[in-house]
Amino acid sequence: MKSKDLPDKFGFYGEYGGKFVPETLMFALAELEETYKSLRDNNEFQTEFYRDLSQFVGRPSPLYFAKRLTDHYGKASIWLKREDLNHTGAHKINNTVGQILLAKHMGKKRIIAETGAGQHGVATATVAARLGLECHIYMGTEDVRRQSLNVYRMKLLGAEVHAVDSGSATLKDALNEALRDWVTNIESTYYIIGSVTGPHPYPMIVRDFNAVVGKELIDQSKELFGKMPDAILACVGGGSNAMGIFYPFIEYDEVRLIGVEAAGEGLKTGNHAAPLNDGTPGILHGAKSYLMQDESGQVKGTASISAGLDYPGVGPEHSWLKDQNRAQYAAVNDSQVVEAFHLVNKLEGILPALETAHAFAYLEEFMPTTSQDEHIVINVSGRGDKDINTMAEVEGIDL
Amino acid sequence: MNNLGKVLNHKKLNDEKVLVAYLVAGDPDLESSLDLMHLLVEAGVDIIELGVPFTDPIAEGPVIQKAHDRALKKNTDFKSIMNLVNKFRISNPQTPIILMGYINTFVTNKKLINMKDNGIDGVLVVDIPGEFNLADYEINNKKIDSISLISPTTSDDRIKTIVDQSSGFIYYVTLRGVTGSSHFDKSEIEFNIKKIKNLSNMPVMAGFGIKTTEDAAVLASYSDGVVIGSSIVDLIDKNSDKKDFESVKEYVTDIKEAISQ
Ligand SMILES: Cc1ncc(COP(=O)(O)O)c(C=O)c1O
Repeated sequence: MKSKDLPDKFGFYGEYGGKFVPETLMFALAELEETYKSLRDNNEFQTEFYRDLSQFVGRPSPLYFAKRLTDHYGKASIWLKREDLNHTGAHKINNTVGQILLAKHMGKKRIIAETGAGQHGVATATVAARLGLECHIYMGTEDVRRQSLNVYRMKLLGAEVHAVDSGSATLKDALNEALRDWVTNIESTYYIIGSVTGPHPYPMIVRDFNAVVGKELIDQSKELFGKMPDAILACVGGGSNAMGIFYPFIEYDEVRLIGVEAAGEGLKTGNHAAPLNDGTPGILHGAKSYLMQDESGQVKGTASISAGLDYPGVGPEHSWLKDQNRAQYAAVNDSQVVEAFHLVNKLEGILPALETAHAFAYLEEFMPTTSQDEHIVINVSGRGDKDINTMAEVEGIDL
Repeated sequence: MNNLGKVLNHKKLNDEKVLVAYLVAGDPDLESSLDLMHLLVEAGVDIIELGVPFTDPIAEGPVIQKAHDRALKKNTDFKSIMNLVNKFRISNPQTPIILMGYINTFVTNKKLINMKDNGIDGVLVVDIPGEFNLADYEINNKKIDSISLISPTTSDDRIKTIVDQSSGFIYYVTLRGVTGSSHFDKSEIEFNIKKIKNLSNMPVMAGFGIKTTEDAAVLASYSDGVVIGSSIVDLIDKNSDKKDFESVKEYVTDIKEAISQ
């Protein structure tokens, strides 16, 4: 089966994906799928979506030549797809702008979402505020602590932030709690999931709304360096920024697609968040995909300096791309990420999110394998203002 | 016919309501679970639903979530749960036991579920889509019934499909929400259970959120029996320090009496 035809009608990408949820949610997923399918090829809907992306988000995001970073490695030209310049500071807004239109069409008055780094929470609270809809954000207490700037932003936007204390008190547990809210308020509520994860049709919907990034990149590459990129790099948590930039390129075999996961304290230590590198297929949050789990099927705890990547699962389409060998998935550990964070600040005057810094960190290993006539693109998924506190803490600085 | 079939037939013949009790295996520990299983049967429970703990139980409210966490802290896994069932079976060969939990642990441990004569009569996987059968996931023990949930939001078409894929009984989820919530819509429950019974010969049990004897009596009057979960798990927790579960027994006895009138 060609990637363009995926998922199949049951929501599977090969063996991955599906809808493994309690029965109460099945009708809501069917309703959502129906709405989306009826709207996605509708001209009016597309016009509305692209108008918001242009006038509210500020798209297209630039493709920027990182000259000093390129000189630093002395190999391929490095280009940056500047999702950090979007309104609210990350790629997450592409998805929420699209999903809020679905919510509006479905007549839903109450919006819920989970968040890790808080970027998706902010992006959700933003579009909810714009339409005057009630908004509830679930966030692990550990993330509330380390991403406090974004918690305050969400509150300014009128959202109620619910701290989740169960399990590891991070993104996975926030997702559990959002699903529980949805089961309880199923008729009134639209759940805006924040990555290409969860039950079908979410991975497809979130991919499609983020695919605007890859579509722009095709045109920008032709214009700025006259061909397709030789490689595209993106960090992978749930995998939405990566899926969005990869998707339009899947059919171009000559373009290498490289996802970078969070190796946390190191892949060998087991304390990481890299299911594609060190996990096995399993089922969590409604979908089958690579998963960090123990031999009896319990989900393992995760570790990462970055709240947005601190998740034991990954979107099902990435698992499919991995098994098909169409994409490769690397991992970098926390200390490499801290180094890359500094490097990008100093060389390019860009403050990347810690999530994004994972993609930059992989350059150390990747650039020596490239040549000077090549062009590679990094998806700069978000900006790092929210991570200043974490970085200061890591480096023992009192702000 | 397995234990479950026998009990359900017997109840039907005698026109009696069924009492199903849920507890989490390994909460507060496996020895207590064994004692509690016997105690529940003494108090009049007809079918035991053993919760298999999972790290991410998305259909559970706070009471049962915490029980899952406690059981996991005690390293309760599928193997030790099978052990528990074997021990229970030494003195009780007849009370049906249903394992209830989440698909990831069930698929991972399918060999144990498929083992012959393992003492299990039914499996209820909360997050398996109703139109799929356990056999689709290579859980294919002929002696084990595959019990499905039907909820207030299940469409008529889906009810038919789900009924076709199930055996044993249908578990009707009495509310929109997680285990342990409240707010029943009694007329909706009555209407939906009638609808299911029109499409299936299987008994229909009502559960999720039943706390009081009054609730139990009313819901039993619409259905073939009730499932009590969070209230029992809560009482177990409140009495775990002394391991004196007399109040669990009293509570269950009262429920039994309420649904028997
Ligand atoms: C800036 C940024 N990049 C990446 C991610 C990871 O998510 P995904 O893998 O879905 O792109 C997040 C999540 O919070 C984020 O805020």
